[in-house]
Amino acid sequence: MLRTMITSTNTMSQLQQQLDTIGNNLSNSATTGYKARDVKFHELLYQQFNNDKLDRAPRQSPTGIRYGVGAVLGQAQMNWKQGTLQPTGRELDFAFSEPKQYFNILMPDEANGTKTVYTRQGAFYMSPMENGQLMLVNGEGYPVADSEGAPIVLEENASKFTISDGGNLTVSYPNGTTTQTQLAVSVLQKPQFMENLSAAYLGLPTNLAELGVTEQDILTNLQGADRAEIAMQNGTLEASNVNMSKEFTELISTQRSYQFNARAVTMADQMLGLINGIR
Amino acid sequence: MASGMIAQQRRTELLTNNMANANTPGYKADQSVIRSFPDMLMSRLGNAQIPTDDPLQLKTMNHIGAINAGVYMQETLPLFTQGQINETELTTDVALIDGNVPTNPATGKPGAFLFRLENQGQGESYTRNGNFTLDGQGFLVNPQGLYVLSDEGTRIQLQNDDFSIVADGRILVDDIEVNRIGISFAENPQALMKEDNGLFRTADETNLPSAYTTPEATFSMQQGFLEGSNVDSARTMTDMLTAYRAFEANQKVLQAYDRSMEKAVNEIGRV
Repeated sequence: MLRTMITSTNTMSQLQQQLDTIGNNLSNSATTGYKARDVKFHELLYQQFNNDKLDRAPRQSPTGIRYGVGAVLGQAQMNWKQGTLQPTGRELDFAFSEPKQYFNILMPDEANGTKTVYTRQGAFYMSPMENGQLMLVNGEGYPVADSEGAPIVLEENASKFTISDGGNLTVSYPNGTTTQTQLAVSVLQKPQFMENLSAAYLGLPTNLAELGVTEQDILTNLQGADRAEIAMQNGTLEASNVNMSKEFTELISTQRSYQFNARAVTMADQMLGLINGIR
Repeated sequence: MASGMIAQQRRTELLTNNMANANTPGYKADQSVIRSFPDMLMSRLGNAQIPTDDPLQLKTMNHIGAINAGVYMQETLPLFTQGQINETELTTDVALIDGNVPTNPATGKPGAFLFRLENQGQGESYTRNGNFTLDGQGFLVNPQGLYVLSDEGTRIQLQNDDFSIVADGRILVDDIEVNRIGISFAENPQALMKEDNGLFRTADETNLPSAYTTPEATFSMQQGFLEGSNVDSARTMTDMLTAYRAFEANQKVLQAYDRSMEKAVNEIGRV
């Protein structure tokens, strides 16, 4: 059987996955806090053929001929660079102006109540609770955690929200009183280790032991004096860092590569036809 | 003829692999060398008589000429020209850019600069693919987890991916030099064995010398960029078509032989 066909089909399935990644980036180009994913190709296995062991002809390379069997996706990486800040004027929209800093969201988990997930999407809302109090939640209704890891509960009629250095949320009430809450902020030292839960959320990988890393290696929860690093502001949202022109260029070249490989299959088919046509 | 078909088939296989890797960073296109089998010399053996009283029989051998026994693919040689540089914005991506590449006086061909990788206890491997990442312990590794080596041949450990690489290969963290990316120089890159994932290794497993100490060698590094594949798609497609037609031509000649044989067997031999 012609290896041409195998080489092409190996590569085509991988190119399809690259198209999926590009499609995902493009569809999330307007998702706030989204970080673009990037995939890179690598060469598949090389095989050596020693068809000329007795060949004494002068040559430049070591004995045998080596050829590969196509390309495979090597790794998908997240581009953690800062997205542009878009002013919205809404007091409950928060954005980080430093990369790698993340909000903690308490996501309901079937197994043990809640689990902490990480996001840069800072469009928060006040959600009324049964006892008349308000809870700070994100767009999907999941509570935003404070630095102790607990949901942020505020009194009814909270009216004005300001964020000060160090991620301190000051809430003012009409009667002139204020309360202070520290929003939980984690710095993802190694964002490539995080598991992508959705376009907005990152979670800790479930196979930490297998990867040989601990939670402390990957992220740091900013506490105490470290909170001075936090660069947060409200009234703005962080746009996604998807570069549309780059994604479209990659889309076109990937699509063309797919076409080239499909053409190689056709040619291999015609060659097999020629072999059949010898007699 | 069949050998010609096999050689052209191998060529299309090789070209398909080049085409498949047209988007692989740091990929070096393979080139094929097709060579004819050593010619066979035909001779006629005969007798010659010397007309003497007692006739003398002498054995003679007259050369008729050479006969060709077909072709085969002798070598696959990677082409070490610079690929284009693409921006990726990732700090763990490094493009290696050739400056002045010293030529090998023996072959007259230029050498090649390569990144050094530690190959799981089997000495060093080399690559042009600068798509690296950090592992759990903070070591700079390639996607298969092979450690990227520094100029001193040690692994490179970093706190996080907030570092910068300057053009001369020094890695800076907060403007303080912590390490330097190891670059090797292959004087005769054709002698390297190509392996999967863009790795090259020496046939005798000796390590290549550092490029920093090679005289007259200049190169630079660019962080946040990757060197693309040096496959020329248009050329590869043209070569594919040429190989395809050569395959077809060989098939046609094979068919023609078959027809002559048919005549010889079925028509001449008919009683």
